[in-house]
Amino acid sequence: MSSSLCVRRLSLAPSDVSAHTSMATRSLLAYSCNASFSTSSAQLAQNLQKKSKAALPPQRGTKNSVTLKRKTPARDVGKRPAPGERKALRKRIVLSNINAFEVPGLRDLHTTNMHADSVKGRVMGLPGTVVDSLRAVEAFKTTQGWNLFRRPAILMRRESAQIAEFIQEVEAAQGKKTIRRIIIGDRASGKSTLVLQALTMAFLKEWVVINLPDAKEIIIGHTEYAPMPGSNRTQYTQNVYTANLLSQIAKANTAVLSKLQLTTKPDLPITVPPNATLVKLAELGAATPEYSWPIFRALWDELTQPNRPPIIFAIDGLGHIMRDSAYLSTNFKPIHAHDLTIVRHFIDHLSGAAALPNGGIVLAATTGSNNPSSPALDFSIQVAEARAKGMNSLPTWNPYKSADQRSLDSLKNVEMLRLNGLSKEEARTIMEYYAASGMLRRTVDNNFVSDQWTLSGGGNIGELERGTVKLRI
Amino acid sequence: MVFIFGVNFPEANLVKRSLETFYGIGPKVSQHIMARFHIHPTAKVSSLVNTQILNINAELSNMKIETDLRRQVQDNIKRLRSMGTYRGRRHAMGLPVRGQRTRTQIQTARKLNREERKG
Repeated sequence: MSSSLCVRRLSLAPSDVSAHTSMATRSLLAYSCNASFSTSSAQLAQNLQKKSKAALPPQRGTKNSVTLKRKTPARDVGKRPAPGERKALRKRIVLSNINAFEVPGLRDLHTTNMHADSVKGRVMGLPGTVVDSLRAVEAFKTTQGWNLFRRPAILMRRESAQIAEFIQEVEAAQGKKTIRRIIIGDRASGKSTLVLQALTMAFLKEWVVINLPDAKEIIIGHTEYAPMPGSNRTQYTQNVYTANLLSQIAKANTAVLSKLQLTTKPDLPITVPPNATLVKLAELGAATPEYSWPIFRALWDELTQPNRPPIIFAIDGLGHIMRDSAYLSTNFKPIHAHDLTIVRHFIDHLSGAAALPNGGIVLAATTGSNNPSSPALDFSIQVAEARAKGMNSLPTWNPYKSADQRSLDSLKNVEMLRLNGLSKEEARTIMEYYAASGMLRRTVDNNFVSDQWTLSGGGNIGELERGTVKLRI
Repeated sequence: MVFIFGVNFPEANLVKRSLETFYGIGPKVSQHIMARFHIHPTAKVSSLVNTQILNINAELSNMKIETDLRRQVQDNIKRLRSMGTYRGRRHAMGLPVRGQRTRTQIQTARKLNREERKG
């Protein structure tokens, strides 16, 4: 049936139809059917037309394309971005979305309510002063969803409450206690955000906050380095990086450091005015990169004098500093990350080799999305978890793998803090916050929470945010 | 502008690229020189301190680069030519030296191979 129809249609080509006007009315149906079959015929027809036009000989009196002079391709004269402009755009942190609703009843986190049971499992806002400080220490990351909500707020999950407890323990021990933890967990499980939460609480408690925002930046060989004179196993200072760190410390901790004055006489290559505040000292280091490392040491010595506030020392992306860096030594061998002074300083405190005399917390977060291969770190995590579970037989090192003994030694006695998924109640709280912000236009009921909790791999908060707020279809 | 080994380089230039402009210095040699004087791979010429520039100059002046290296290459070719070897002849004719086919693809040989080799 269909084949016969096709043959008939072939015979009814447009020329035929126009020739026999009487047939045109009768064949309307057949043509409309043909047109609805596919769109390719229409496209083909256009192409044919173009081709035939191109094949025509050039018109008399017009310029032939062959004789036309070939123009030089137009140069792109658009304005180039100024140096550093693209990087600034890439690293821009947006902390507010004016299209999101203000969440009614959103309370700020405060020193008084930080440890209270009433904030556990609740979403709490970050006070403005703390936000400025957190921004100064680069605790906010571009990959986090701060730009979706009216103002920065955090979920006080189970692990956040644990950090609050740590802070309480350190304060209760009056400088006798240093807590050292490595935060581990799946990708997007909130490791960096937990570091941010710890820094937030430390800022509220008026601790001194020193944050190395990204370990990768220290070791990829993008900043100046120089051997430290007089070091036995050659250590390398990174003057520009340290100067930048000092400026961050000064900016973020102004409130605390401006109250503290120099008590010792640091032996520095430049003169420091007597009775200068520690902010001044840090600013001096930021302004003179060539002396930034001695000044950082002097600042650290001052901070570890008696009757100083506790210190929180944190790093993000621990795996990067558990391997060789991209820097090269004089004899063209890669420099181990632990030979960089700033890394050495952190590792000494993480491993417990150096103590914090006034107490404090040393936190290191691993990274999931940008994870460098570091067998030493992976193995240490396995061992620490097995030890925490009280297993009799600890995992043993695979002898066929080359061991980075320095990394292994540094991680021998560190405890882990594993970030698991949110509980369903926590997931519900955060989803209600999304809905109250107007970013999730659904009724948050048990079914929906269960769905999203499961889809996010058992309450992985990054995936939960992606599924509910970022990917709205 | 920074003066390295008698050449002025704009401050925005990378040290690595600037070093590699000299005949006889490629990626490997430039890496070695930079590691020797603790210059990181993405360093700009403007970030070099005076002692580093002096050290680089001293290092470069001890190396066989630029004219000296060119002369050595030319001498080698001249020696082959004077001995009447096939290799010398091929150099002089501007043809491939090492048995490549000459039916197609001999632009590099045409460009470079000659008795007074420049590049």
